[in-house]
Amino acid sequence: MSGARGGTSPEQKPWDLLAGRDFIEVRFGGSGGQGVILMGVILATAATLDHRRVVQTESYGPEARGGYSRSDVIISNEAVDYPEVERADLLVAMSQPAATQYIGSLREEGIFIYDSESVTEPPLFRGTTFAVPFARMALEETGRKQTTNILALGAVATITGIVLADSLRKAVMGKVPPGTEELNSRALARGLALDPAEWQRGGAGAHS
Amino acid sequence: MEPWHGHLLKERVDQSSLLIQGNRACVLGALDAGVRFYAGYPITPSSEIMEAMAFELPRAGGVFVQMEDEIASICACIGAALTGEVAMTATSGPGFSLMQEAIGYAIMVEAPLVIVNVMRAGPSTGRPTAPSQGDVMQARWGTHGDHPAIVLAASNVADMYRLTMAAVRFALRFRTPVTLLADQVVGQMRESFSEELIGRYRLTSGDFDFTPGYLHPDVAREVRRPHILGSGEHPHVTGLFHDETGFPTNDPEKTDKFLRDLYNKVAHHRDELCLYDVKNEGNGRVCIVAYGSCARSARAAWRLADQEGLSVEILHLYTLFPLPVEIIQKVARRVEFMIIPELNLGQYAHEVRKMAEQWTTVIGMNKTDGTLITPREILDRIAELVGKYESV
Repeated sequence: MSGARGGTSPEQKPWDLLAGRDFIEVRFGGSGGQGVILMGVILATAATLDHRRVVQTESYGPEARGGYSRSDVIISNEAVDYPEVERADLLVAMSQPAATQYIGSLREEGIFIYDSESVTEPPLFRGTTFAVPFARMALEETGRKQTTNILALGAVATITGIVLADSLRKAVMGKVPPGTEELNSRALARGLALDPAEWQRGGAGAHS
Repeated sequence: MEPWHGHLLKERVDQSSLLIQGNRACVLGALDAGVRFYAGYPITPSSEIMEAMAFELPRAGGVFVQMEDEIASICACIGAALTGEVAMTATSGPGFSLMQEAIGYAIMVEAPLVIVNVMRAGPSTGRPTAPSQGDVMQARWGTHGDHPAIVLAASNVADMYRLTMAAVRFALRFRTPVTLLADQVVGQMRESFSEELIGRYRLTSGDFDFTPGYLHPDVAREVRRPHILGSGEHPHVTGLFHDETGFPTNDPEKTDKFLRDLYNKVAHHRDELCLYDVKNEGNGRVCIVAYGSCARSARAAWRLADQEGLSVEILHLYTLFPLPVEIIQKVARRVEFMIIPELNLGQYAHEVRKMAEQWTTVIGMNKTDGTLITPREILDRIAELVGKYESV
């Protein structure tokens, strides 16, 4: 694997594993309260800023707190018919149940990104996999665990190039609660600065 | 009154594009169509409609009231409608059940209302966060007696906008409640939506003049002249059969005519009320008849089928009631199979079967596990049907 890049530039050049695709299916999974649906909304907003056609759906449990939470985002160059993920190109799992439950929806050549502290028993997946301690990084960076989702989105953009970093920045600023812009901006920057090579667990790299 | 568009700016992600949730698009449509009264009680998965109305209506010069329950909500809407307001409420299955008695009253007193039901899996509390199409027949026959019903079904965010506008128009023209059905997926999804589209479906402000006592100029001929509260008259309003004065009557001739007029004011205008879209007209032995989120699965299935060299026709229904008899029978005459995917146990398939079975085989495809029907599932069913009959 030759994906490792030297240097400690503040923002990584994206690996662009999904950039330029005409049709991309993304699934975010986690538990209620982690901001998983907001991740979907922000990604959808960023893709809209990139002039793509987007559909974002959400599915969650009836509980007021906890329970499962899922958000699907379909990004396309044309109008999208079926609004949910059929075969995901990218799965982002923020909890163990989400990883276990949704790994089957990820295509073999898809990308699997998970929070390595929440997902302690990663399901078997032979494709490209990244395990990142998002929650721990967020706590280090901002002192707030609530910024985990924004940090993870930055990492997703850097690994996949699915949306432009600028679009993602704008989308984050437009969607986070007023007063938290600075914290979330730091979390996002940390995610965007992540070196994919350092966190890759398996599968093909950027230049393989 | 000029259409009020300040709220749209907040939905913009840039100069040309909007990303809006279905429930919010419904609110935009309502505001653009002149709805200035909303009374409701929040319920998943429709709550965003109420939330947005609470924010937007006071800014648009309207009235928003959170009531103690859904019975009170619809009754408040009826009261507002009788003063000449355009009133709306939104709910989901359990709330829709509570509203049924008052919906009958609204029909009887010819109060124009829009009721949005973002369907979730039922019966009872069911699965609040799962999509369903289980309330289709309730929307038609939920309240007692022979009554008309106008029921529309939204399949995407643009539909939530334009069908809400259509619902307002129909409610005013026919002076009757109109139900817009959506489901959890359509109500809570966010989707790209262009301002160009908003422009295309915007009704002209001339269609709507909401000074109290005003009667829509285009009101259907079968509608009785309404007595509007606040107009200076002393109207009498009752759910009993009544005559032109508004007072009860037991005269057999008058009551019979009243009921028939009530029914026919919708039945006689099917041409205008039945909104639908035909794709790939006249090509293929199979037609998928679909509405709501299943219509999206159907379109995706049609593309997959095309890739596999299988020609399929699609009839996408936006109006479920009054029954679109003419188009269903027209399509039934030219295809061998009609497949009807639904997130219920075949409620609408049963209606289609009654209209079409003398010409074609009507096949229901039903799912009630709280997930959508996938395009692949529809395609597999088509392949099975076509293959089976070819091998005979």
